[in-house]
Amino acid sequence: MFWRKTRAAIERFHPVHQGLIWQRTASVTLPPAEWNAVVASLAQHEGTVKRRKWRLPDRTVTVLVPLIRVLCEDVAPDGVVGVTADLRGPKVPGKAGPSRELPVRRPIRKITEWFALDPWLAVRAVLRDGSVLELTVTDRVRYRKVHKVNPRGKHKTKTKTKTVQRVTARRTLPPGTDVRQPDTPPPPWIAVRVKSGKRTVIGSTMKLAPAPAEVDMVQWILAVATEPFRWTPPATSVRRTA
Amino acid sequence: MNPCAVTTGFFLLGRCGRPSVTVCRCGRPVCAEHVDPQGLCPECAAAQAYADPFHPGWARGYRRRYYEQSSGQYSDPLWYSQFDSYDRDQFDTDDGFDVGGDTGDDGGFDVGGDDGNDWVDS
Repeated sequence: MFWRKTRAAIERFHPVHQGLIWQRTASVTLPPAEWNAVVASLAQHEGTVKRRKWRLPDRTVTVLVPLIRVLCEDVAPDGVVGVTADLRGPKVPGKAGPSRELPVRRPIRKITEWFALDPWLAVRAVLRDGSVLELTVTDRVRYRKVHKVNPRGKHKTKTKTKTVQRVTARRTLPPGTDVRQPDTPPPPWIAVRVKSGKRTVIGSTMKLAPAPAEVDMVQWILAVATEPFRWTPPATSVRRTA
Repeated sequence: MNPCAVTTGFFLLGRCGRPSVTVCRCGRPVCAEHVDPQGLCPECAAAQAYADPFHPGWARGYRRRYYEQSSGQYSDPLWYSQFDSYDRDQFDTDDGFDVGGDTGDDGGFDVGGDDGNDWVDS
């Protein structure tokens, strides 16, 4: 009646999994073996927890788990993957910026506009070849609250949103790695910056408007993460991974 | 004993190289870590459709689709062909784990019997 069995089952889940249920956030750095335990725990969620209030955030299954699976493939057993995920959404206090009023004409009485900046995912992985891959995903949501009054004095309000998603990938190469510009340029929606130095840093950025659907998000994130890997010939990669 | 020929990694492709314990139905030697309960290598197991990212083999099944997609997005056929040649080389047990097989020294891609020696610099 009071979800005692479900609550007890949740307490048996991995602590990172519990954090995603109760706080809808996770900030942890773990080796691949431990991430496998986290994902195994997350896999039990749907069959165990039926209460809607305690379901996992959608982006856990569509983005977080696939991304962890992909990165763990490239991390040595003693390497680590760090994830900071804030899946509370852009409406929580602290993410909204200052609001302002826009000029209006009848029958609109008032339009209030504000932006919310939601950096909901940051990932850092130390890869097998000694390079460090950092990924960030940030949503910038524009809110417009429109208040209008019709000729009979009836008040109506509605809020419109527009989301722009910014994805960045940065790969810091180990010292002395050969860097070669790819034969073909990246797609026009990806900007690339290369910083030479003791450790070459290759960064790629993409801005998507409107934000992609949840199920397609991981494809776009991996598309941005691809560019830094095109700059190093495959021969420089670690071959044997035993 | 043949080393395990399973392709590892996602962006950074590699070969496992551990001692194999069995041979998959596709002919690849597979180590104890990579063998499926049914005796299959990860790729053959992934071919049986792991649509669920919770499955441990999901990334290996998704890898080929990712390389196809990203190669199209970047208009970079080399990106996919690198992966493809890497994957195909697993079946060549005599290549000493070289990527690209035997296409380099003996003119493997020459048409009409050219061996590369009759080219004259102009």
